[in-house]
Amino acid sequence: MAKYILKRLLQSLLTVLLVVTLVFLLMRLMPTDYFFTEDELMKLTEEQKHDRLLASGLLDHPLKQLADYFKGIFTEGDLGVSRRIQANQPVTKVIGSKFSISMELGLKALGISLVIGVIFGVLQARYKDGILDAVGTAYTVFVNAVPSLVTYSLILAFGSRVLGLPSMFTMRKPGPSSILPMVCLSIGSIAGYMLWTRRYMVDELNKDYIRLAKLKGLSTRSVMYRHVLKNAFVPLAQYLPYSILLTVGGSLLVERFFSVPGMGPLLTDAIARYDLNVVQGVVLLYATLGILGVFLGDLLMSLIDPRIRLTNKGATR
Amino acid sequence: MKKLLSLVLALAMVLSMACITTASAAEITDLRTWETTSRELETWNIQKSQAAQDLNVLCNLFDGLLTNDASGALVGNAAKEWSTPDGGKTWTFVLNDGMKWVDKDGNEKADVVAQDWLTGLEWVLNFAKNDSYNVSMPNDMIVGAKEYYDYTKQLTEEQGEEAALALTADGKFAELVKVTAPDDKTIVYECLDAMTYFPSVATYNCLYPLSAKLIEEIGVAGYEAITWENMWYNGPYVVQSFIHQNEKVLVANPNYWNAEGVKRFNSVSIKMVESVDTAYQLFYNGELDHVQPSQATLTTIYNDKNHEFNKNLVEARPTKYSYQMHLVYDVNNLDGTPYTDWNTAVANKNFRLALYYGMDMTPYLARTNAINPLSCQNYAYTGNAVAVNSQGIDYTQLVRDELGLQYDYNTYVRYDAEKAAQYKAAAIEELTAKGVKLPVNMVYYIKGDSQTAMDSAQTLAQVIADGLGEDLVKLEIRTYISSLTNEVRVPQYNCLFINGWGADFADPVNFLGQETYNDPAAYYSNNYSMINKATDPDLIATYEEFTRLVNEAKAITDDNDARYAAFAKAEAYFIENALTIPASYEVAWELTCINPYSKVYSAYGIQAYRYVNWETNDQIYTTEEIAALAK
Repeated sequence: MAKYILKRLLQSLLTVLLVVTLVFLLMRLMPTDYFFTEDELMKLTEEQKHDRLLASGLLDHPLKQLADYFKGIFTEGDLGVSRRIQANQPVTKVIGSKFSISMELGLKALGISLVIGVIFGVLQARYKDGILDAVGTAYTVFVNAVPSLVTYSLILAFGSRVLGLPSMFTMRKPGPSSILPMVCLSIGSIAGYMLWTRRYMVDELNKDYIRLAKLKGLSTRSVMYRHVLKNAFVPLAQYLPYSILLTVGGSLLVERFFSVPGMGPLLTDAIARYDLNVVQGVVLLYATLGILGVFLGDLLMSLIDPRIRLTNKGATR
Repeated sequence: MKKLLSLVLALAMVLSMACITTASAAEITDLRTWETTSRELETWNIQKSQAAQDLNVLCNLFDGLLTNDASGALVGNAAKEWSTPDGGKTWTFVLNDGMKWVDKDGNEKADVVAQDWLTGLEWVLNFAKNDSYNVSMPNDMIVGAKEYYDYTKQLTEEQGEEAALALTADGKFAELVKVTAPDDKTIVYECLDAMTYFPSVATYNCLYPLSAKLIEEIGVAGYEAITWENMWYNGPYVVQSFIHQNEKVLVANPNYWNAEGVKRFNSVSIKMVESVDTAYQLFYNGELDHVQPSQATLTTIYNDKNHEFNKNLVEARPTKYSYQMHLVYDVNNLDGTPYTDWNTAVANKNFRLALYYGMDMTPYLARTNAINPLSCQNYAYTGNAVAVNSQGIDYTQLVRDELGLQYDYNTYVRYDAEKAAQYKAAAIEELTAKGVKLPVNMVYYIKGDSQTAMDSAQTLAQVIADGLGEDLVKLEIRTYISSLTNEVRVPQYNCLFINGWGADFADPVNFLGQETYNDPAAYYSNNYSMINKATDPDLIATYEEFTRLVNEAKAITDDNDARYAAFAKAEAYFIENALTIPASYEVAWELTCINPYSKVYSAYGIQAYRYVNWETNDQIYTTEEIAALAK
């Protein structure tokens, strides 16, 4: 197992480096015009543009820039400084100030989604084709069919005008002001967990061992929770570490909508502003978390279900 | 008993009315304003910033030499007086007493001294320190500035960044740049030429102070990465908190030198919101003190007489931008060959004048201001309130006098169907004789993902079709993906640009100087109209005459009234020949608890968002109240 973990970690490190290198070089393929705002493009002379690019180091050879970047990371843990998101601030500071906010909101929303989603999914499977199942299915269809921004607008209007909740997230009152963003973050994931829990449980319910258990006289409750849910949870568990780690990434839509100062819009903002160091920093973080999430998911799955052996040939993901 | 009851009721009514009056007169002490998340502050370094979203905040944290008042006039700020002994070549500013640099908690750090303006300018002009930001105006105006900038650039290239970063306002800067501080209270700038408008440049952040003691404390690298937490303030507010993409809170500087001289809020919260619709939602919930509703919301409120905000809609004051329809005189087809039909047509004076007189722009103006479109009417090239003569007459009024076009809020006065028909007939005859295939397509590019731009372009196409029919010219709308400059302007695909231009300082040369012929510094000539590439002799002769008139006006440096009159003559000539066609001003609608006529009104520079001397009301102003305040 230790050998397997070490091997996967080395593979993961290599993958992260490849992703970062690729993104680094791809960003350098973008025309340097994107370095400037449209206003600057209109007003600056060619000489002034050249001077700006020269001062920023972007006129150096891309491979030299890449070598300097990795040297900074490996020798000093330095991801460079932001150019425009927060000018001249270290990228680690820019990201650091945001990811804890996203993670806190995301973890709470994930917890709510898991509890509500799994419980409702179980109830839907238990009372398949009943009223509860129909209500759950209608909810899932509604959430997936209605555009997120419309749902968020309805939640905002109802929450702020009827319930009197703050319409915007504020660090001065993080508790009450995070209720509406959390509801919006949870609403989609609840539908997801409901859908998959129901589906996996219905699959399990149709299997022979369940029929046998029932024939042996086990109670429905015992069958549902000791056998069906446990087995149905295995595929869900695989994505749990991934989901937990990716809460760091935040949600672009929800965070934009409620002005949550989290990670969600950071990558798109950084790309739009040609803030290369921030783009690379965020990509490095996301790549690391993504790969780590998948890896931890595999480990967790093997822990929950001893039949799964990661080290056997053909068993790894 | 009845009498007593009546008396009590009357008393109660009077008291309640008094209460209402008192309540409505209460001023806001803690302002709640907003900005969209796409316009978040990027840098706290005022020497470096060129973005309005930064400067709207930073202008509250620093005092420059001068500022503007609510009418747009220049008034003292850090400087209490300013003068020129030689008609505008040398300018002397004398600072107020008792100004202090403070930290974010208001603790005194140092005195504000004249040397701070030299340190600030050295930073701006130093290639290694400021990455060429904000250098244009000082380089074009101050003796030795360009030489110092070139020196630091060369030093960086030859000896590395460290050598240039080690420079200070002493040494080479003092040797080259003609800015001096004879004592702690006096700053003297020597201009390249007589510049009567130089004081207006003193409102701009390229001439803002920077304490050498702060640089000593945190180092050059520290100042490059300055934040609200470690910077020094000398303005009316300090920053209490900043949460990126969420909220900035400014509080009154407790050690402000002019605390008695200006009215300030106790605090100003600037909330970052996703869109104007979200801002409206917050305003509706009572969480903001003003909002400019989106077009759809505005229409809903305006059309619903029972809407709770129907009686509160007020027109904002015009922004500093003057929008023009810039005609392009050298256009290419998509394959890079010259678009000969257009190039021939646009060089024809009758063709241009048919466009000039043939467009009733009212529906197009309604795209900006659906309620009062004619509030946006613009017949001049220069922006409003850029310059005012000694009789207090706005420069654009002088232009309108020359043109014989006065504002009329019932009709769009430039539109003249009779003249348009005459010019159109003449243009058709002349262009047909030259072999131009009519109607000629006037190619106009808009951003592909903007429905607003598409709607405006279609309105403009209809305006042209309504006024001139479809046998002379048709607007052909095309789209670009992300960069107008790279995808359209540089390859010269556009026949028409509609652009807003705002002044950097208080002189018409700011506008007209961009259009002169064969002048490398004329921005619009070189980048938009492409007049320097045109070949039609009549068109070139017209531009040469305009350039001569502008140069004549520029040469008048001892009499501002004569200078403005000469510029107005040049501008009228430019417009009468329809070398560009004035399009609109920006006048939006808002719901507000702030009297817009009490705010700084600035047609140039960075002062417009200073939260000082604002008159407010804790109730939303009504339309009538603001109308009364406007008088």
